[in-house]
Amino acid sequence: MSHTRPRRLWRSVAALTAALALSAGCASSGQGGAAQGNGQKQEGGDVTFLIDSLGDTWIPNNSAISSFQGHIWGHVTDKLVYVDENGEVSPWVAESWEQNDDATQFTLHLRDGVTFSDGSPVDADAVVANLDIWAKGRPDDGINPIGLFPKTYQSATAVDPLTVQVSFNAPTLGFIPTLGYHGSILISPETLALPAEEQADLSNDIGSGPFTVASWKEGDSVVLEKRDDYDWGPEALDHDGPATLDTLTYKLVAEPSVRTAAVQSGQAQVAYNPSPQELGPFKEQGFTVAAPRYLGFVNGFALNTQVAPFNDVKVRQAVQHGIDRDQILSTVYTDDWLPAESFIQSNVPGATDHSADFAFDPDKAAVLLDEAGWKAGADGKRSKDGTPLSLTLYPNPYLATSKSVDELVAQQLGDLGFTVDIQAYDVVTYGEKVAIGNPSVPAYEVTRSFIDAGTVAGVLTDANNGEDWFNLGQSDPELTQLGSEVASSVSTDERAPVLDELQGYVLQQGYFVPLTQIVQRLYLQSPKLKGVTYNGVAYANFYTAYLEG
Amino acid sequence: MGVTRQPRRAPRPYLTYAVQRVVQAVVVVLLAYCFTFLVISVLPGDPVTATLRNPQNNFTEEEVQRIVAYYGLDRPVWVQLWEALSRFVQGDLGVSLRSNLPVSTLIGDVLGSTVVLAVSALVVALALAFGIAYGTRNAPAPVAKALRAFPSLFLSVPNFVIGLLLINVFAFNLGLFQVIDSEGPAATFFAAIALGIPVSAQVAEVLIANLDHEARQDYAGFATSRGLSRSRLFWRHLLKPSSLPVVTVIALTVGELLGGALITETIFGRTGIGSLVQRSVTTQDLPVLQAVVVLAAVVFVVVNLVVDLVYPLLDPRVDLRGAARAPRTAAEQPLETTQGASA
Repeated sequence: MSHTRPRRLWRSVAALTAALALSAGCASSGQGGAAQGNGQKQEGGDVTFLIDSLGDTWIPNNSAISSFQGHIWGHVTDKLVYVDENGEVSPWVAESWEQNDDATQFTLHLRDGVTFSDGSPVDADAVVANLDIWAKGRPDDGINPIGLFPKTYQSATAVDPLTVQVSFNAPTLGFIPTLGYHGSILISPETLALPAEEQADLSNDIGSGPFTVASWKEGDSVVLEKRDDYDWGPEALDHDGPATLDTLTYKLVAEPSVRTAAVQSGQAQVAYNPSPQELGPFKEQGFTVAAPRYLGFVNGFALNTQVAPFNDVKVRQAVQHGIDRDQILSTVYTDDWLPAESFIQSNVPGATDHSADFAFDPDKAAVLLDEAGWKAGADGKRSKDGTPLSLTLYPNPYLATSKSVDELVAQQLGDLGFTVDIQAYDVVTYGEKVAIGNPSVPAYEVTRSFIDAGTVAGVLTDANNGEDWFNLGQSDPELTQLGSEVASSVSTDERAPVLDELQGYVLQQGYFVPLTQIVQRLYLQSPKLKGVTYNGVAYANFYTAYLEG
Repeated sequence: MGVTRQPRRAPRPYLTYAVQRVVQAVVVVLLAYCFTFLVISVLPGDPVTATLRNPQNNFTEEEVQRIVAYYGLDRPVWVQLWEALSRFVQGDLGVSLRSNLPVSTLIGDVLGSTVVLAVSALVVALALAFGIAYGTRNAPAPVAKALRAFPSLFLSVPNFVIGLLLINVFAFNLGLFQVIDSEGPAATFFAAIALGIPVSAQVAEVLIANLDHEARQDYAGFATSRGLSRSRLFWRHLLKPSSLPVVTVIALTVGELLGGALITETIFGRTGIGSLVQRSVTTQDLPVLQAVVVLAAVVFVVVNLVVDLVYPLLDPRVDLRGAARAPRTAAEQPLETTQGASA
């Protein structure tokens, strides 16, 4: 039989080629432009949102940080305040608030008439129960605290049914903005008292949002339907009463090309996380691409100042000047991405433009490396006393484009004389092996959202259980001083100049190497879908959305 | 087994054989459970601490310790194994570390989808395989020759290519099914085609090889010389002896139907065992993985047992006296040769 093999193989190859050509043909020729709406707003309607994952657990406190479940929580629950994409804080369930002079005590005045979907009121007692569980969790029962909730939290008390007083043991200017973060969702106290296993069942998680959970299937889909008696949306969204859409269906489709093709063919209205390179043709066909930026740190490297070669400021600066950000933007991303101007995203209130401190300048980078004693050998690779100038990058598994970006960075630094190695891990292994300050991690790739620039103070040094991103401890007095000034600020006006100085200092010392601003949530939408809003953590909200006929 | 002189059709070999096989099955299942546990325990990290130690979460060490203690992950591995094993023996599969839901609920939710897909894929595979095999003996020469290339073609086209092609043509261009309604009959039909095609290749290979073998036998030549038509020869004489080994192949492809289901499920957006495994592997969700491995072990053991017990009933030439494994060896012979040819 062996003589037939080559012929069989040839036939198979031919048939496979034909099949692929057919498939490609169908993909490109089947659909023309996108069907545009007629400009008429429809009442009701159903929207299908295709998503690549629905995260892990639905225990409200444990799931909050996930980038996927926030989509559901944003519709099923309300928050005390609303934070828009520019970091502007405005009233929601909390109608107004006051703070004392040293920002250690806050009084929240709640809106009257807000109810959870089981009918129980969202009153001061309910808010106190939520604040307590956000701050402390129930660790012995497997309920985590909310990671970003201020550790300075002392207690909350219900002064009257619509007034809550919250105390902190140190100035906590970030408290109010944190109430708009995706972890700070108001859940019925009855749900909060349930054991972890029952909270993990999404149907038991009662919120006060414009939608309720109609049905859900683990790892498959969540169907939400509008709550007719909802009438307490955020003022900033300028929309009264219940949502316009009848239902929202979040359906898990793991394959990105199936998600986008389903939107293209009209079977779904939104595809989450399409690959950036794929977007150009869709835009030309008239589809909507939304690339909202979140509030947070830019994508970049926090350098470990205690290990060679980054224990030398000149090498750190050389890396800053050796990276061509425009090339990253044009190769990996589209026009919707912006270069970094600082180490925090430019839409964060208090962010200032320091791009000159780390502008692409390969000649300057080469001079800095020469000065630092790293000389280029015959092969162009630099070394000092026989030690090669080497660096290992660990792409951040939470950012899909991270590996492509790191590959470009490796190339660019390679041109400069670095020997760059890339080590990619999955989420669990990454969490285990790649930690800030680990001697084998010279550059930690940051992708992180926050809601208030005060968060910056908590990462710079190890003061107050800080994360110590640059492995400096408190050995840099100026950085420690600036950090504590930011942390102890009692008003944003007072904080702004310090924050500006701090950004300049961190960048001039080469502690942080910014790459690009982050768009972690990317949406491809049907042109008939209008009125979608994006909050400060870039989640699409369909409370105000509607379909055109 | 050393059972030699027993009256024909005595129940004894069946009974001994069955008991022996069931005991074996239980041991295999328990070993699979422990083995999965140990293998995953050796890997660094677990889903709970990976999340807790993510700097973004900013938990204090004390909080981390208490939460880890809630999940029982702070105890020595052998204590954890013992507790898991004692729970398992009582029928409790534990709670998922990833989703905090009971493992039995998670598996119960997805099992139906996978069974429906696997059974429909098997039907598709058998229909295709028998269709191709029939064609190779009865169609005009050029067509028959072309049909012989189909099994290797089916095996060489990756599952996901077939799946994407089907979705592109039938869902997005012709609108015959909705991607959203992934468990609906239409979507299931196309998913079954995607999954059934590679499986049909193996069945068809075995069938074709066996048909060729039978056709060379004297009785076939004799029947032809007496003027029996090709199709009558096929239906009345060749098909039955050639199909018996297919039963063995089906038993072997059960694994492929479960494993291949992962890719098909991912592409068609179905939520079955495959996608549950995928989510659990990436998060090292030990209790779920253990349960799935046990389930797979049970399915394999049961299917093989059924095949071994059914075989003697299908083929009068095989009986259980002598050696229980005799039918399997006979059946595997053609499979090995054809696999060699298609590799």
